[in-house]
Amino acid sequence: MRGVSDAGRLARNILIPAAIAAAAYLLLSSVLINQTLLLLLSTSAAACCGAAFLLSRPRPVYLVDYACLRPLQTCRVPFATYMEHARMCEFFDEKSVEFQMRILERSGLGEETCLPPANHYLPPQKTMEGGRWEAEMVVFSVVDEVLARTKMEAKNVDAVVVNCSLFAPTPSMVDMVVNRYKMRSNVRAYNLSGMGCSAGIIAVDLARQLLQVHSNWYVLVISTEILTPNYYAGRSRSMLLPNCLFRMGAAASLLSNRSSTVVPPKYRLLHVVRTHCGAHDPSFLCVTQAEDPAGQIGISLSKDLMSVAGDALRSNITTIGPLVLPASEQLRFLFALLARRAISSSWPPYLPDFRKAFDHFCIHAGGRAVIDELQRSLRLKPGDVEASRMTLHRFGNTSSSSLWYELSYIEAKGRMKKGDRVWMIGFGSGFKCNSAVWRCVRDVGFPGDGPWAECVHRYPVHVPEIVSFA
Amino acid sequence: MVSKHDKAKPLTKSLLACFSAASSAMEFLALLSTLVFLHALLVLLWNLLDRWRHSGCYLLDYVCLKPTDDRQLPTDLCGEIIARNDCLGLSEYKFLLKVIVGSGLGEATYGPRNIIEGREASPSLADSISEMEESFNPVLDEVFRRAGPDIPPSAVDILVVNVSMFSPAPSLAARIINRYRLREDILVYNLSGMGCSASLISIDLIRNMFKAHKKMIALMVTSESIAPNWYNGNRRSMMLGNCLFRSGGCAALLTNDPGLGQRRGKMQLSRLVRTHLGRSNDAHTCACQKEDDEGRHGFHLSRELPTAAAQAFFENLRELAPRILPMAEICRYLFASIWKKKSSAKQDPFSSSVDMKTGVDHFCLHTGGKAVIEGVGRSLGLDEKALEPSRMTLHRFGNTSASSVWYVLGYMEAKKKLRRGHRVLMLTFGSGFKCNSCLWVVLRDMEDPGAWEHCIKAYPPETLANPFMEKYGWINDPNAELLVQSVKESITSRCCCLSCFHLPPPIAYAAAPVP
Repeated sequence: MRGVSDAGRLARNILIPAAIAAAAYLLLSSVLINQTLLLLLSTSAAACCGAAFLLSRPRPVYLVDYACLRPLQTCRVPFATYMEHARMCEFFDEKSVEFQMRILERSGLGEETCLPPANHYLPPQKTMEGGRWEAEMVVFSVVDEVLARTKMEAKNVDAVVVNCSLFAPTPSMVDMVVNRYKMRSNVRAYNLSGMGCSAGIIAVDLARQLLQVHSNWYVLVISTEILTPNYYAGRSRSMLLPNCLFRMGAAASLLSNRSSTVVPPKYRLLHVVRTHCGAHDPSFLCVTQAEDPAGQIGISLSKDLMSVAGDALRSNITTIGPLVLPASEQLRFLFALLARRAISSSWPPYLPDFRKAFDHFCIHAGGRAVIDELQRSLRLKPGDVEASRMTLHRFGNTSSSSLWYELSYIEAKGRMKKGDRVWMIGFGSGFKCNSAVWRCVRDVGFPGDGPWAECVHRYPVHVPEIVSFA
Repeated sequence: MVSKHDKAKPLTKSLLACFSAASSAMEFLALLSTLVFLHALLVLLWNLLDRWRHSGCYLLDYVCLKPTDDRQLPTDLCGEIIARNDCLGLSEYKFLLKVIVGSGLGEATYGPRNIIEGREASPSLADSISEMEESFNPVLDEVFRRAGPDIPPSAVDILVVNVSMFSPAPSLAARIINRYRLREDILVYNLSGMGCSASLISIDLIRNMFKAHKKMIALMVTSESIAPNWYNGNRRSMMLGNCLFRSGGCAALLTNDPGLGQRRGKMQLSRLVRTHLGRSNDAHTCACQKEDDEGRHGFHLSRELPTAAAQAFFENLRELAPRILPMAEICRYLFASIWKKKSSAKQDPFSSSVDMKTGVDHFCLHTGGKAVIEGVGRSLGLDEKALEPSRMTLHRFGNTSASSVWYVLGYMEAKKKLRRGHRVLMLTFGSGFKCNSCLWVVLRDMEDPGAWEHCIKAYPPETLANPFMEKYGWINDPNAELLVQSVKESITSRCCCLSCFHLPPPIAYAAAPVP
């Protein structure tokens, strides 16, 4: 059994409020009757109740600020560059080149996505040193920016969590951050790896767990995907998709449970729900690293990916729905469920309207198909998935950091208001579906800088179904 | 006529009545407020007590991997594997043999299959994954078998897996979830790149989760990947890893349920201290995975490693010692330090180094190598008896990276040394540079031999010296190059490999120790 125990819930919801009410009554009567003893006892009772209530409450977790990588223009990979590079690589045959072109045409990516410099070489350099170089470039950029935005010194950071799925050198990337920023010797460092595109939310969840245990802490969360050592140099179609879709990106965020930070926090973390479908074989096998017949390692995406993602999402919604949906939606869902069970199994299931629970949606920009599928499943309007589509267009699939780019888009468009609720949904290999719910706690204007600074005025753009460049 | 006295009577009576009513109301209010205060105080105390009860971390069980004997790597097989490497010259060959012979590793340590089968230069992804499956599956099967129906796999709430040098997609943690059909809402973390001290980092992570939730069961799985990480070059600093790292693994079940912990727990975590020396560039780069000039991957161990280890150890001890040593020892140490500073006499009657044995009964030191064990032993003033478990583990299983401290614990348990109330210190070092330590308190007499079952009676052996010490004395022969060439030719032509190493040594070198 997880979470607050039943007895704890009973104490928090019934006993403590009753005791507080009784203490308040006594306080009032003692003031009126002017009895010192009564006054003393009732204030002590109120203080004890207050302390017990505060102790049983989970600590609030705030996102102070975050920063996303704005890659160098020299790393840009327009379609023409990508195709020229693909044609000149000897390990691709004509069919592979043709296949990649068709993927790119339908991908929803734009002309400004970026790949790390090593991938521009002929042949692409897949060295560990190149991977470290890319890691230093992307991670240090975003950490410098987030520390500057939050006016934090690195020595005040209490914990660092880094997630990068496909590159985990020893010493790890988190050790690299501790070294670069000369952090304290008692900093808690965790390096998550292999956890896929939803690892950003897993890292935030880990930070949240730490912030429940330790008071007045700052936790730095860094999400990225290092592409240099993972370029697929083979001909297997199922493994060529990541080459076409994954692009360079990174994000760093500072979380805290302090009641007052140097810079007022932007968001408060309300819920994190994690769903792992690894026990189900098709889910486990739908995104796997494998060797092709020529011995080249790549990520293979199975054809079941969309249905697996749909199942994982349904499972996640089942848990998060009761936490966020208004009572009316929950009642309608319950009614439909009972009707299906009691009256007729052909009674149409009711899909709750999550637009009543959230103001903004950040759906992992895994690819056009993923965003289409979620828009359909959740009955969202085109405006709700605009942040996801535009992030995919401008930055490509940046894996775990894509959710932060989408949040940044919403802020850059001036749509974020105090009190707005944001739903971040990430999917990843395993197969996992993870959700995080944030509430905006102050008015967030356009920051003036950030990844969208120079281009948000051009967005939204219409992304055609097929961009033909034969 | 009504007198004044008669008029006063009803007034007095009514006043008295009001007063008595008021006083009884007061008494009632006083009683009520006292009750409410007591109730509120009880609720607060119960809340605090509940938190304290559920913040414990109990080790329910642990199982160390004993690989199958067809994966053993005796010295002569190591020599054969080294000889397969064409880019090694005589000086590298000498260096490697010296390291292997003087490493403290025995003849029964284990390696991955691809290396034993001759595919160390071209490991495949399947080799790496099968090595991990061979490490995880037996220990997890055993841990769940011993847990019984009370703790089925579906009862696991937290899964933490740490394997430093291999991180596929989907993660190794997802692989475990798939095999054992763990729950959908499990809290899973896959740590990688965290070095030989990752085991205690996983325990730290689990401990934090335990403080944030109640009645959880956690599964920690630790191992190391050697198959894709064999170094095929000739840089000496990167060849050391080949000589020391061996296959191993461990799975541990933990809980913060006080009832379950007291009923079935073997040990309870008392303290855990993590130290990260990453701010020092030398410390950060002293143990790292890199490519040599020819692009071959390997694990580089630099000369700055002992200094970094010593510094990290010192900082860790500075934080740990005051928390685990008895007050008497702390006072004695303070007094001795002050005396030493003030006294100009060269001989000080009080030892000014802290005596860890006053607060710790058993020491599980990371089996990083002979030098690590001896260095830590000297710093802590430990005798041979205290270092025996770590030395024997290094001899029997080699450096199994993050799981090494669990093998050391297993040795102590197999020797029936762990009694109720004993305190066990685990001390690990890892790349980054990190030094992590934790103190366990034994809850019940522990007597399970585990991975040591088949060999504990043979330990400690009469000598830990490598049986090939004399055999490899000929390496100092000026004509050794010719000998090496002939040996290599005979191996590459695939004619009886082992007999080549049984050449009788020149008499002059028969008794010469290998430096």
